[in-house]
Amino acid sequence: MAPTSLRRLSLIYLRVSSLTFGGGDPTMAALQAELVTRHGWLSREKYGLVYGLARITPGTNILAFCAGTAWELRGWPGAILAVLGATLPSAAAVVLLTVGYEMLKHDARAMAAIAGTLAAAVGLMAVSAWQLVRPDLRPARILRALVLVAGSLSLSYAFRISPVWILGTAALIGFFWRTAPE
Amino acid sequence: MNVALLYLLLLKATSTSFSGLTSLPVLRHDLVEHHRVLTDRQLNAAVAAGRTAPGPNGLYVVSVGYFVAGVPGACAGCMAAMTPAFAILVLLRYLGRRAERPGVKSAIQSVTLAAAGLVINATIPLARDAITGPYPLALAVASFLFLAFTRFATVWIIVGAALAGLAGSFAGFL
Repeated sequence: MAPTSLRRLSLIYLRVSSLTFGGGDPTMAALQAELVTRHGWLSREKYGLVYGLARITPGTNILAFCAGTAWELRGWPGAILAVLGATLPSAAAVVLLTVGYEMLKHDARAMAAIAGTLAAAVGLMAVSAWQLVRPDLRPARILRALVLVAGSLSLSYAFRISPVWILGTAALIGFFWRTAPE
Repeated sequence: MNVALLYLLLLKATSTSFSGLTSLPVLRHDLVEHHRVLTDRQLNAAVAAGRTAPGPNGLYVVSVGYFVAGVPGACAGCMAAMTPAFAILVLLRYLGRRAERPGVKSAIQSVTLAAAGLVINATIPLARDAITGPYPLALAVASFLFLAFTRFATVWIIVGAALAGLAGSFAGFL
């Protein structure tokens, strides 16, 4: 488990995050292949711990994951470079796509294409909700899942309660209402 | 809007979410409903841009920042996406394996479920804006099915939807 050079480590985060599409899960899988399987710099146990903690770190899980794994290997400088490497190329791509949208918003054909992607984005968001709920669709956990999903939807939709309060309340409910382990 | 205030509002959204698009409800509440510096249509385009680009989906906040305040806004979005990531270092040092304690684990599961309800709530206005007839509805359902039940990369679904939109406009569906 010899720590590698900062430059080499940063390049791995840069390359993996700028070439994997579809969000954090494929990126984490690619990083696992590089850091654990291919180079052996990180043990499976450490990888598992960072993975678990990244899930409970606020914000984008994959960026926390990059910070955590690189910190294990090269301390603070590693964590900062890994997060920058994982963020900047993708952020630049996001800005270019947004500029393209702004420039083309008066072109009817381009807007038809964009209307297609906007409709798809609705489908993508629905999938996001579905993937958050799916692990809880089992007999021991479905009642709590229904209460929490329906409760947060109705509080936010009908009463416009701030999401921060809803999420805080859900954490409290979860702390006391524990379901049977899998 | 002042870029520092924008950064703080975006940071509030990113640091109170636990995965990709769960920051969207907070962000929509602040920027679309309260400050009115962003439209639902722009928010929807930002989500599409974030999903089309490689890397984390959470980077749609960069696009949101760009819509509100141009390049400085995009930089504020980028900073807001990166800042909370470093909280994991505090957790790694001090929390260690406590994440596996039943109470903490159960609280995280519950927050995730409540987040799903919030994502559904945030999808409603976006859907009202984007689903203007049967053809966009079919595109939304098709992209849901492809993403949920196949292994197609998101970028191909977005590209396919753009081509389908173009084809639909030539055929007169859009």
